[in-house]
Amino acid sequence: MNPSFEPKILAFLCNWCSYAGADLAGISRIQYPPNIRVIRTMCSGRVDPLFIVNALDEGFDGVYVGGCHIGDCHYQDGNLYTLKRFDALQKLMDLTGISRNRVHLKWASAAEAQIFADNITYVTQVIRDLGPFERDSRLLPLQAMKRTLTSQRYRWLVGIDRKITGDKNVYNEKTPVPLFEKVFSEALQGEYQKALVVECTKDNPLSVHEISGRTGLPPYTISCRLNELSQDGITGIGRVDGRTPKFISRAA
Amino acid sequence: MTLAEKRKLGSVLVVGAGVAGIQASLDMANSGFYVHLVDRSPSVGGIMAQLDKTFPTNDCAMCVISPFLVEVGRHLNIHVIPCSELERLDGEKGDFKATIVNHPRYIDTEKCTGCGQCRQVCPVVAINEFNCGLDLRKATYIPYPQAVPLAYAIDRNACIGCGMCEKVCLAGAVTYDDKTKITELEVGSVILAPGGEMYDPKEADSWSYSHPNVVTSLEFERILSASGPYRGHLMRPYDREEPEKIAWLQCVGSRDINRAKNSHCSSVCCMYAIKQTMIAKEHSAHELDTAIFYMDMRTYGKDFDKYYSRAKEERGVRFIRSRVHSIEPVENGNLRLRYVKESGESVEEIFNMVVLSVGFKPSSGVETIAKKLGLTLNEQHFFRTGDIRPVATSRDGVYVCGVSHGPKDIPQSVMEASAAASVATSDLSSARWSATRTPQLPPETDFSKMVPRIGVFVCNCGINIGGVADVPAIREYAKTLPHVVHVEDNLFTCSQDTQERMKQVIREKNINRVVVASCSPRTHEPLFQETIREAGLNKYLFEMANIRDQNTWVHKNNPDLATAKAKDLVRMAVAKAEYIEPLHQVKLDVKPAVLIVGGGVAGMEAALGAAEQGFQAYLVEKTDTLGGMAHQLRKTWQGEDIPAYLERLIKDVTNHSKIQIFLNTKPVHFTGTIGSFTTTLNDIHTGNPNGIIEHGAAILATGGREYRPEGYQYGNRPDVMTHLDLDQAMKDTPATVMNADTIVFIQCVGSRNSDRPYCSRVCCTHTLKNAIELKKIKPGMNIFVMYRDVRSYGFRESLYQEARALGVHFIRFDPENPPQMNIAENNILTITVTDHILQRPIVISPDLVVLAAAVLPNENKELFELFKVPVNAEGFLVEAHAKLRPVDFGSEGLFLAGLAHYPKSIDESIAQARAAVSRAVTIVSKDGIMVGGVVAAVNPDRCAVCCTCVRACPYGIPFIGNEGHAVIQQAECHGCGVCVSECPGKAITLQHFTDQQLIAKTRALFYQPAMNE
Repeated sequence: MNPSFEPKILAFLCNWCSYAGADLAGISRIQYPPNIRVIRTMCSGRVDPLFIVNALDEGFDGVYVGGCHIGDCHYQDGNLYTLKRFDALQKLMDLTGISRNRVHLKWASAAEAQIFADNITYVTQVIRDLGPFERDSRLLPLQAMKRTLTSQRYRWLVGIDRKITGDKNVYNEKTPVPLFEKVFSEALQGEYQKALVVECTKDNPLSVHEISGRTGLPPYTISCRLNELSQDGITGIGRVDGRTPKFISRAA
Repeated sequence: MTLAEKRKLGSVLVVGAGVAGIQASLDMANSGFYVHLVDRSPSVGGIMAQLDKTFPTNDCAMCVISPFLVEVGRHLNIHVIPCSELERLDGEKGDFKATIVNHPRYIDTEKCTGCGQCRQVCPVVAINEFNCGLDLRKATYIPYPQAVPLAYAIDRNACIGCGMCEKVCLAGAVTYDDKTKITELEVGSVILAPGGEMYDPKEADSWSYSHPNVVTSLEFERILSASGPYRGHLMRPYDREEPEKIAWLQCVGSRDINRAKNSHCSSVCCMYAIKQTMIAKEHSAHELDTAIFYMDMRTYGKDFDKYYSRAKEERGVRFIRSRVHSIEPVENGNLRLRYVKESGESVEEIFNMVVLSVGFKPSSGVETIAKKLGLTLNEQHFFRTGDIRPVATSRDGVYVCGVSHGPKDIPQSVMEASAAASVATSDLSSARWSATRTPQLPPETDFSKMVPRIGVFVCNCGINIGGVADVPAIREYAKTLPHVVHVEDNLFTCSQDTQERMKQVIREKNINRVVVASCSPRTHEPLFQETIREAGLNKYLFEMANIRDQNTWVHKNNPDLATAKAKDLVRMAVAKAEYIEPLHQVKLDVKPAVLIVGGGVAGMEAALGAAEQGFQAYLVEKTDTLGGMAHQLRKTWQGEDIPAYLERLIKDVTNHSKIQIFLNTKPVHFTGTIGSFTTTLNDIHTGNPNGIIEHGAAILATGGREYRPEGYQYGNRPDVMTHLDLDQAMKDTPATVMNADTIVFIQCVGSRNSDRPYCSRVCCTHTLKNAIELKKIKPGMNIFVMYRDVRSYGFRESLYQEARALGVHFIRFDPENPPQMNIAENNILTITVTDHILQRPIVISPDLVVLAAAVLPNENKELFELFKVPVNAEGFLVEAHAKLRPVDFGSEGLFLAGLAHYPKSIDESIAQARAAVSRAVTIVSKDGIMVGGVVAAVNPDRCAVCCTCVRACPYGIPFIGNEGHAVIQQAECHGCGVCVSECPGKAITLQHFTDQQLIAKTRALFYQPAMNE
């Protein structure tokens, strides 16, 4: 690892706590590493996971999201949504092979300047230890992640989670958390795997083994995802070479 | 109530809506009973709907079953109750109270239009049972695209209650507060048809079933199916490569008491495996090697053996008589099979894919229902039934059909379903038409002198049409078309409220032609026709433009072109509408009587069945006695006493007031059409007429006989006999048989050869029964059975097991090398046969040789020509459709039963006879038959009597009448229009599809209305 490597980190800070905490750190002259570039949002709940993936795709080595402590949100419970989404994002990253430690969600109040500075110091060190983010070798997972995060299925499930597991579902019951988690991880994994297949077959037809070579997914997994993609009218057989069908996607 | 006043109800309950339940329901509803059809799944169809093709004709299963599904779904006298189960049954035969549990579906079938928006947004996936788990479906789902009712359901086990489906459902059909309900039905009898399930290879740790390229035969059906997960492209699941070599393993979960604990033969797997090899080869762009590993090839049904030899000789399917002992996954997704050849040689072979030919087990509902209703099950946990009452359960008034009481194929299930329908209603005939509904319709308005006034209804189908094509633009465009006086667009044109509105608009605006631009006429035309009829329009004053299934669903990415195409289709429909005319069906009288030709068991059962249903039966027999072949039989395969049964049957038939018997008689003249035939009967000896009878239907049960073998010294020696000779001897002189120390049975004498390329079906069972009986009486007797394949199908397999356990020796021979008989100079008889295990000839000196001689149809050339019914090359009568119309002839109103159709056991003959009754009663129970509509009409002035139509008609309907021109009976015409397009003189018109109407559509494609911008 290059010891002189300094990561570029994008930070999304909520206006009312983390951004204010960062200001207080300045007023208090508390020192922390110069690696972060800050984008102010009104609430951490404004941070779409897509922004985070986009930052990695644009060349950042890591992303920091700062919000108010749970219970302190200026918008009642905006940060609870952030928490759910962040959790989901990290699960998605686990599927991609991109370290989940490149992204961090930390709480700091407007009064916790020292905690903010400590967070930044810690996160910078973690990302520095990970080394530079090799974007160019991660293009396929990055595109697939974006596709996953924009899918209606993923976004709807993230959005409905708290209502149906915490309050009540359409049957006036609470959806059991294990059931929801199972459905959610199936959806996340399914959408991501489909996205990988679509991303690599959108330009030219590929066989299952070729898709497997590019995505690292086992052939049978690809075969199963092709069922769903075919049901949705996205992927079909483009041509057959000998006995090998090649699949092509009509990417939206 | 006293016994005499016992109520008889005119409604019946059918449990299970597979092909058997559907057939039973249709038969009963069409003969005057109100049917409640309960199924625990959200739609009807059963296993048949999952099949790709059906043997031995390779017809598309969905194509043949879907008209039946649609008819059940729309029948006024069939109440389909999906998502429901029979909970209890109180009362007794004739007057039951059935308690039904209705499980919540969460989607209102009345409101759901089947548009599928809910499915698209549902975020939850579950195993797709219809595709056998090869792919996934959503928690909001429809089992298959052609499902009836065409309504979605929510799988509550998978649903997380997110509410997305409700948000997108524009029809407002989602009902999350749906609850389990209990309904009580009053019914006169109950037919159980809960069906079967396929054996799950997961139950035993064999066959490497967890490997993706090892699939069950039902999974393989879905792989082959054009509507399956791979759209019919033959690929293996692991990596979608097209396979080069596929192996089929027979008897997985059948004939296996070690791994599967199922001793029975599943009866259908040999045939479906052969079918799958042939279809797989057809689907494969390259050479495909197919191998079937089997124990006995059981192709015992009609035309099955020919199918088998075609596969072997013409299509190069490899048939390997061996049990594969291990399947081992190797690299590249392939599988290594190890097996031992008959010669003892051990072989290893690599295949790309393995299909497990899984057998039937009873559906899980069978055991539950049996418990709740107190019914007896057999050792294999199917419903127990006997041979002489083949569709009766152990509870009076409760009947059974289909796979739930034994593995069987589709025609056998359909036959039994009709049989059950007839037996279940025979005691209820006094209540016929008492519970049914008839539509109350206003008189039709006469528009004959008026100019067309066309109303056009353009459907959005939620967003299925409107989300792609520009519906307002189509609507505005339609206004510019000639004769159009009203146009509107609807969210759902098929919804209840739109239908009401349509009727109102028709009356207000004096509309006399209606065009609906929406989905497919195949599914929705009858609904709209009903609606306009309720508004006083003749139902033919209707035309449809298919702008969804054949437009917006297939041109999603070209909205502008889809809009343009929709305009074209609407313009064409309007152009035809201008020329459509009302058609009036004519009611023909029905003679409430049935003619039965043949006085054997099938004929007598048919006569008794018709009489019990309350109709006059005329039973015609050419000999001087009733009973036929059955006089020579002793016991059914389950051991029931045939002579006692026969005596009772003859007495019942003879004494029944509604049966008139004509012995020594043959029909000599036959005329008429469905519902009204006239037959002249003559004394067979004197030639004098002994009756002219009028009848609405006829059943031919002309029977069969045993082949008199040539060879094997038959007829020259008393120690060589056929099965029937043996039965006779056992009855008359048992000592002559029991004195023998060694008996040889030779199978397939006269069957399965080039003269008679069919299996006689009953002989293996007959041999096994006799062998067991002899062994039981005299355990020391040596019995050798020389066979080609032991075809003890279904539960008859237990006889094979018993015979082997008793020490009967089975020696297989090849047709090229049959057993040889030698008579030594001292008159000692020996049989020499090459043993397939020892691989060398063995010589046996039997005291008795029993030849399992073929079953032949009785020769009745004149009779069959008189009734114009077809026979196949072997002389058996040919049914209308090998799968779904197994007792009907192609000509309407004529039916068949018994050995004249194909060799069969007595229980099968009884079932088929009762089935023929059921089919005949759908005709004779009506006071009239409506004919006409979409049929061909001849213009006598233009007819040149060239006979082109006579030759062209696929059904042989047209004939040259006494007036000197072609005649096409409205009652018989099927309405295809082939003759119309062939007729050189253009003398024939197909109503509703006239030249003028069809040409108007074509011309309209290039016609632009003046007002169009």
